[in-house]
Amino acid sequence: MKLKSFRFRIALLSALLAGCAIAGFSGITYLLFYQSKLNALDSDLRDQLTRESSAPRPDFHWRTYEQHRSTFFGEQNQNAIAILVIGANGTTTHQSQNWQTEFYPESLFPPLVDLRIFNLLPFPPPNANPFPDNPQNNLPSDRRPPRPDHLPPRGLNENPPIEDLRSVKPPPNDQPPRAVPNNISSLVTRNTPNGKWRIGAATSPFVKIAIAINLQVIDRDMSAIQNVFLIAVPFTLLLVMLGAWWLSGGALKTIKNITETIRRVNAKGLHQRTAITDLDMEFVELVQVFNQMMERLERSFLQASRFSADAAHELKTPLAILQGELELALQHSESNAMQATLSNLLDEVCRLSSITRKLLLLSLADAGKMTIHKAKLNISEILYELVEDIEILAPELTIKLEISSNLMVMGDRELLTQVLQNLITNAIKYNLPNGWIQIQEKSHVNNVSITISNSSQDISQSDRDRIFDRFHRADPARNRGVEGFGLGLSLSREIVRAHDGDLKIAPVITGCTSFTLILPIYL
Amino acid sequence: MNILYVEDEAKIASFVCAGLKEQGFVVDYCDNGNDGYARAIDFEYDAIILDIMVPGKDGLAILKGIRKAGNSTPVILLTARNELDDRLAGLNLGADDYIAKPFFVEELIARIHAVVRRVSGDRQNILRVSPLKLDRITREVTCKGNDKDEAIELTSREFNLLEYLMRSPGRVYTRTQILEHVWGYDFNPNTNLIDVCIQRIRKKIEKVGGEECLDSVRGVGYKFRKPIQN
Repeated sequence: MKLKSFRFRIALLSALLAGCAIAGFSGITYLLFYQSKLNALDSDLRDQLTRESSAPRPDFHWRTYEQHRSTFFGEQNQNAIAILVIGANGTTTHQSQNWQTEFYPESLFPPLVDLRIFNLLPFPPPNANPFPDNPQNNLPSDRRPPRPDHLPPRGLNENPPIEDLRSVKPPPNDQPPRAVPNNISSLVTRNTPNGKWRIGAATSPFVKIAIAINLQVIDRDMSAIQNVFLIAVPFTLLLVMLGAWWLSGGALKTIKNITETIRRVNAKGLHQRTAITDLDMEFVELVQVFNQMMERLERSFLQASRFSADAAHELKTPLAILQGELELALQHSESNAMQATLSNLLDEVCRLSSITRKLLLLSLADAGKMTIHKAKLNISEILYELVEDIEILAPELTIKLEISSNLMVMGDRELLTQVLQNLITNAIKYNLPNGWIQIQEKSHVNNVSITISNSSQDISQSDRDRIFDRFHRADPARNRGVEGFGLGLSLSREIVRAHDGDLKIAPVITGCTSFTLILPIYL
Repeated sequence: MNILYVEDEAKIASFVCAGLKEQGFVVDYCDNGNDGYARAIDFEYDAIILDIMVPGKDGLAILKGIRKAGNSTPVILLTARNELDDRLAGLNLGADDYIAKPFFVEELIARIHAVVRRVSGDRQNILRVSPLKLDRITREVTCKGNDKDEAIELTSREFNLLEYLMRSPGRVYTRTQILEHVWGYDFNPNTNLIDVCIQRIRKKIEKVGGEECLDSVRGVGYKFRKPIQN
């Protein structure tokens, strides 16, 4: 499917591109964020393991420790921590309620390192990897020294060791448990029915501890970030789309201007141009070329129209001489034969003059210079006289008249008479035997419409379309013997338009041709 | 009647002068605008005919000049140029009438008579050619019948046609000429309008017992029969 609107396509495409980019970035951000959260969790877990396993603790310590830890992640994450403590003697000292059997802690606990090796510090020696699946996880945790800035959990009562721990003393609270030979496993993630858990285990001479933290803790934070993305991304895309829509609208404004100019050219004439100021750089050339084209068109059009005006004008003088001399000769000739010949010649000269005059008027109309000498004009009077002519010219026609008397318009008497004559003689010429002519007048607020209809053969659509064309005459076979040169209707329309009116052919009605003349009313 | 005629086209001037002289006008002819203007100011004429496009002062300038000088002699403008513009300008400047080239000399003469009549009052409003008497103002026609004068009712077209033919009895008018003058039709020679109209007038004259006065000239047109001089 192709979208029709270019503007819409631009908006959609930019939203799509921006969407891809944002999705990519958010994905990466999300992953990085998740990773850093996990790292923080891991290091915290290691700290806890290191500290808790570094000294012997009384059994009741673990319960308080668990309670303390479980509040660490907030109210919502009460059950986010599970602890398993196995004493030095191998009995389970403490096991959290939510400790899962799927944790398989046995496989987690690293073996206890020989104390003698601890005495030969630096700590620690390479250790057998309990999880050969994750060898890389193993290395950093094994090699990492206990953190020196380690602090004991707040509120936790540090009890003195009860058991004799041979030469090893518990470290002071603010001292890193450097001397404690504990061993921390690499951290693993376990899937259980109630979520993913991050598990770490430590073995020390005093105790074996496994701490599991439910990854929901991170998921909750991540879901908050996810929500932010879900709101921000569509909103951003909408902004991008609106921006693209607005920008493309600005770009298309020039196109709109050019369209507007072409429309004005159709309505008003070829002298219209598009303003070049205030344009985007990219459009300047287009508009320049367009304006140049219009200029050339206008020039050649004016030349053509001036040519026919000049030609018509140049023809007038010889025609005037011919007509005058023939008229004089006609009056002076004695024989009737000579008079008849001269009269025929005179008719032909008049025909030439008439064509010349019409061409001149048409070229004036084309150049937009048809100036009208407007005066108050009783159009009913002209119509009545013409109806009188119809009665003489075609007595067999039925005349239906609906004209009010004293209908006043503003116009040029000579030219408008010519228009009405043209319409009425056409109505007679192209009528059917014993047909009818109807002249109807309707007054509106600002204008008068005069409809002249007559019975006729149907006019084909192609003829209707070309009926106002110059030198166009409908079906030559039909009009054999009908006088005219096909300028009448085209000139009539130009005359009426110069009066700010219009001349239209009515839509097809079988057996009838109808022209409507609209003229501004005299107020 | 004295006429000043300003025209630069010698060939046109020659037949116009000939036509006017035949009708009894005294024609003063100039071939440039400056001379024409000087004469229009210096002498008195019954009418002035100005071609618009003449060397020197053009027709419109002459018209403007003489109207400015307070001269109200009737002026008829002639032109081959943009008719509509010139007509507008001419009429605004105070021209009495306007004829576009090409024109019939007969038509020019008719217009001269019309403008002169308009300026000089009702002196020549009655046209008498036996057996008819025609009043241009009241548009009444009476005919010398068997024993007394009888009025004839004519339509406006019939009246205009009769008036046109009666201006120069004996002169032949072609159909085209008549159509152009009476009907204002541009060109339509294949019409029987004139013939029907002439028939109607003839019948109306016959009805009141007037003698036959409208002659047809075969292949040409019509003329008003020249009354035999007593």
